[in-house]
Amino acid sequence: MARIGVFVCHCGENIGRTVDCHGVAEACKDVPGVVHSVDYKYMCSDPGQQMVKNAIAEKGLTGVVVAACSPHMHEKTFRRATAGAGLNPFLCEMANVREHCSWIHEDREKATVKAVDITKTIIEKVKRNVPLNTIRIPVTRRALVIGGGIAGIQAALDIADGGREVILVEKGPSIGGHMSQLSETFPTLDCSQCILTPRMVEVYQHPRIKLYAYSEVESVEGYIGNFKVTVRRKARSVDEDKCNGCGACTQVCPNKKIPSEFDCGLGKRTAIYVPFPQAVPNLPTVDRNKCLLFMNRAKGRPDTCKKCADACAKGAIDFDQQDRLVTEDVGAIVVATGYQLYTIGKDQPKDNLKGYGEYGYGTIPDVIDGLQFERLASASGPTSGKILRPSDGKEPKRIVFLQCIGSRDPQKGMEYCSKICCMYVAKHTMLYHHKVHDGQATVFYMDIRAAGKGYEEFSRRAIEEEGAQYIRGRVSRMWREGDVIKILGFDTLEGEPIEMDADMVVLATAMRPQPGIDALAQKLSVSYDQHGFINEAHPKLRPVETNTAGIFVAGACQAPRDIPDAVAMASATASKVLGLFANEMLEREPTVACVNEANCAGCFHCERVCAYGAVEHKDIKDRAGNVVRVIAYVNPGVCQGCGTCQATCPSKSVELQGFTDEQIWGEIQALGV
Amino acid sequence: MTELRELARRLLSEGTVNAVLGWEEGPRGARPAFVTTPEGADTLIFDHRCVHNLASYLSPRRPHLKRLGKVAMVLKPCDARAVAGLIRETQIPRDKVVLIGVRCGGVITDPDSTAPLTEATVADRCRGCPDREGHLADHTVGTAGPGFAGPSKRAQKIEELAAAPAEKRWAFWQSELEKCVRCHACRQVCPMCYCDRCLADKTQPRWIESSPHARGNMAWHVARAMHLAGRCVDCGECERVCPEGIPLGLITRKIAQVVSERYDFRPSDDPAVPAPVGTYRMDDPQEFIL
Amino acid sequence: MDATTPAVAGGFEPRITAFVCNWCTYTGADLAGTSRLQMASNVRIIRLPCTGRIDPMFITKAFERGADGIIVSGCHPADCHYNAGNYHARRRFAIFRELMDFLGVDTGRITFSWVSASEGGKWRDVVNDAVTRVRALGPFTDYRKLVVDPVATATGVVPPEHVGKEVPA
Ligand SMILES: Cc1cc2nc3c(=O)[nH]c(=O)nc-3n(C[C@H](O)[C@H](O)[C@H](O)COP(=O)(O)OP(=O)(O)OC[C@H]3O[C@@H](n4cnc5c(N)ncnc54)[C@H](O)[C@@H]3O)c2cc1C
Ligand code: SF4
Ligand code: SF4
Ligand code: SF4
Ligand code: SF4
Ligand code: SF4
Repeated sequence: MARIGVFVCHCGENIGRTVDCHGVAEACKDVPGVVHSVDYKYMCSDPGQQMVKNAIAEKGLTGVVVAACSPHMHEKTFRRATAGAGLNPFLCEMANVREHCSWIHEDREKATVKAVDITKTIIEKVKRNVPLNTIRIPVTRRALVIGGGIAGIQAALDIADGGREVILVEKGPSIGGHMSQLSETFPTLDCSQCILTPRMVEVYQHPRIKLYAYSEVESVEGYIGNFKVTVRRKARSVDEDKCNGCGACTQVCPNKKIPSEFDCGLGKRTAIYVPFPQAVPNLPTVDRNKCLLFMNRAKGRPDTCKKCADACAKGAIDFDQQDRLVTEDVGAIVVATGYQLYTIGKDQPKDNLKGYGEYGYGTIPDVIDGLQFERLASASGPTSGKILRPSDGKEPKRIVFLQCIGSRDPQKGMEYCSKICCMYVAKHTMLYHHKVHDGQATVFYMDIRAAGKGYEEFSRRAIEEEGAQYIRGRVSRMWREGDVIKILGFDTLEGEPIEMDADMVVLATAMRPQPGIDALAQKLSVSYDQHGFINEAHPKLRPVETNTAGIFVAGACQAPRDIPDAVAMASATASKVLGLFANEMLEREPTVACVNEANCAGCFHCERVCAYGAVEHKDIKDRAGNVVRVIAYVNPGVCQGCGTCQATCPSKSVELQGFTDEQIWGEIQALGV
Repeated sequence: MTELRELARRLLSEGTVNAVLGWEEGPRGARPAFVTTPEGADTLIFDHRCVHNLASYLSPRRPHLKRLGKVAMVLKPCDARAVAGLIRETQIPRDKVVLIGVRCGGVITDPDSTAPLTEATVADRCRGCPDREGHLADHTVGTAGPGFAGPSKRAQKIEELAAAPAEKRWAFWQSELEKCVRCHACRQVCPMCYCDRCLADKTQPRWIESSPHARGNMAWHVARAMHLAGRCVDCGECERVCPEGIPLGLITRKIAQVVSERYDFRPSDDPAVPAPVGTYRMDDPQEFIL
Repeated sequence: MDATTPAVAGGFEPRITAFVCNWCTYTGADLAGTSRLQMASNVRIIRLPCTGRIDPMFITKAFERGADGIIVSGCHPADCHYNAGNYHARRRFAIFRELMDFLGVDTGRITFSWVSASEGGKWRDVVNDAVTRVRALGPFTDYRKLVVDPVATATGVVPPEHVGKEVPA
């Protein structure tokens, strides 16, 4: 039989002014199951809490109802007091008679009646409360970081510096991501490689970071604190233990005309290659699609060439190397897979993207994209930092930049703003003017969005001090006449059409998530938006968490991000991961869903509605070990306690602890006439 | 019919299945049949009196069928939607059952009737039914009539009720629901009502009072309608078996209309098509929310 | 009539049960309190973690227990603390509302709203509107009349003379 204690708080005058607190306490005495009902000036004060503790001890209470302020205010306080007296804290609940009653009504009689009702609902609830115990889950205190761009590098370093082991998986042959391709970075124009390379080396040398470059995540199982990750280490055809990075192999490779991905097709590489000189790890990789030996193998011909193997003093080249699968146990995962640029031109990955054929990208050689411009401007790039046009190697004297190509364009591209283009176009005009003193840079823009520390000043400098010409408007068509690019556009400020000649045009294309992000997100069971960007758990309050507990997100795979944003997010994920790893056991509120195994029909409606993937399938076996039924199981480590599953389950075979049907039924009963 | 019988005989004699679930001629009309021997296949029939939705026999909660091991089931296009529902909701593994689709041009409402299939006698759900054969079947046999176009009588009744004031609707439903004796035949026959322990039988807490009175009846029919929203395949079985003649098909039809208008959903015989309840779109209509 | 005006002595005061989510509407109602926004005192709140947890059975039970009106309220789309509970609730209650309407319940008795944690003022308006509306509709005696019939409970059959009548429990 329930023995409930009711404690009505006056909150000084706050409740007492409009609610007859003593009357409420008296009225509750008549409720069956209530053995103790008192009122007091300040329940949350030490003597008030002591009253609760004493009553639990003296009256042998089985439940506590504090009629006072909002549970958001003091539920923790009174649950702690309850626990202090040896009663399970989840047997204590609050009736909100302040925010929801005394503060919003003036009529004392009505407010008192309502306060009694509110208290009675909670009494009925508490009668049906059961002791709950904090859930404790063991935590593997190692992290996985997916993607070795600046975001992934920063996250890995911060976690490792915080004392925990990190597995860093990068799908390319080297870490560094897009930042390694940039020349100089806004808003300070510091050299990208100079600030990035030391960090890459630090990753490589860090005793607590295990780097799997040229690798991809094959599968992920488990849940927060307990993930099992299988990584596919793709065959480089080079034995990393033997190779000392001398580069002799790349010198002798006869296939030298392969467009370099790192140089965005503006430079060339060999079939066995290191993407760029500062690559980490400094290991060559055989591109099996371009290597003559593998091309022969594909045609069923005998192995030929082997020039690289002959040149290698260490015997490190292994044409028969296979992909290897390695499994790692980790407790947390950071997703930092970055971005790609909108594909301009005819071939489009998705039907809804139209590609801007009218700008002639791919047919007019001197129409390039922003990353290609970065490579031209980079001292280590294919032109050693000289701005030269791809078609004839001449220095362009008139250069035109088009912003928002594929951004803010629901018809042909993406409806969102890519955020960084305004800034890097301003940067590009400056870099151009620094290098081509007699040149003129012109920018077609829609708006200039330069919100960020020093950003507005930076873009103003590009215009006011460095002489970039900014035209508000769009370009409708471009074509080539001789070696001149003809531009037809519209100036929306002047309200008139514009015709212009250019020697080179740079398209600032939209940022999109990496290809394959959806497959990875599905493996991780994190959600992504219609564009493929990973969704954060809450846009304001949980910006670096995903909806799957223990999985975090950093950098441009979540939304268009510049470097400071990406780094800030990465450090934020690291602090989340380190927080999670602070204890060997993860403690969670026990208000999670729990399946009634005898009644569950295994229809898995619950699984379909659970936003966290907390519902798993559980086999029920007979004595012989045959599976006789498959039913739902809620993983308490993953469940967040929303209760959507319970409302959806037809037979109510899954119950949310703390808000069970019994409890709510009791509350509704209490309000009856 | 010969095609059906021959196929059933072959499946049984070759040992592909241990039983074929179909229809036979009973003393009063068509009735469900279990055929376990090749010779028995000759008793199988299919015509416009084969109204029963046999999918409910496939429910894992029917142990006698389970004991038979692999079975074949004869199914109309509408039955196929129920089987798809059971597969979708992981109640039956697709490979545990051989599905023999029969082409169908409509059935009547009463399996015991001798009435021919006409515009006047055809079951309401068959009016406007677009499917002459189910897509889920492993084999498809028979020939089908042309089917029947609308208008659905239930749709007319629903419109008529909608046009009336709320009190009229209340009065109409109270006069219908008060007849309910809570035999739960509507639940037992429903292929999608397969819960081990139905909410109506739960006592802790008791959301639905179990004795047949207006209050419990209301709760029961609200619960049933909500649980079957977007899952009901409109087989009409609940209304057919109701001993009190309560027009349950009006409720199921109404909800189906709501689900189709709001979420562009029609019960599908493709198990991969998700049910509309349990999924959502961010831009679902919400005109009723302040 | 304004909802906050005290009803004439003996006048009808509706009883309204509100099912609200913990993170948005409950907190919004807290804010209404902290901001001392005065509103009608007819509403009793039952707190759930999420609108996703709110079951149509809660509503039928509340009507059975004599509620004249119901409020269901939670986080705006895209604001759900649990990502998608409100989206599932939106479908569930869109259907439920149409069902109730079809069964002859005046849907003016059931209010659905999105009230965020910062919308104390909106909560007050939702409460006052619901109270005014339900007050105008009068007591929900139709539902209350659906009482337990002792004869039916004992015998399993509703005696014809009890059909549609108010029978003492
Ligand atoms: C033209 C241009 C100029 C720019 N200039 C500036 C500037 O001046 N200043 C500035 O602040 N920002 C600038 N940016 C933005 C900057 O490039 C990004 O902010 C930054 O690179 C984002 O880092 P990231 O780590 O999130 O992504 P990325 O740099 O894209 O790195 C992601 C990494 O993850 C790897 N990866 C992807 N998928 C997988 C997978 N499935 N498994 C394993 N690994 C994977 C990729 O190979 C890559 O190495 C510029 C961008 C452009 C396009
Ligand atoms: S808990 Fe309920 S919804 Fe989930 S599988 Fe079991 S019966 Fe179905
Ligand atoms: S309570 Fe919510 S989070 Fe937990 S299993 Fe149910 S639906 Fe998933
Ligand atoms: S509710 Fe009725 S019509 Fe719908 S599937 Fe069940 S038995 Fe068939
Ligand atoms: S009425 Fe609901 S709970 Fe009962 S069997 Fe049907 S689906 Fe299951
Ligand atoms: S079959 Fe008819 S009488 Fe029986 S429970 Fe269903 S509606 Fe009521």
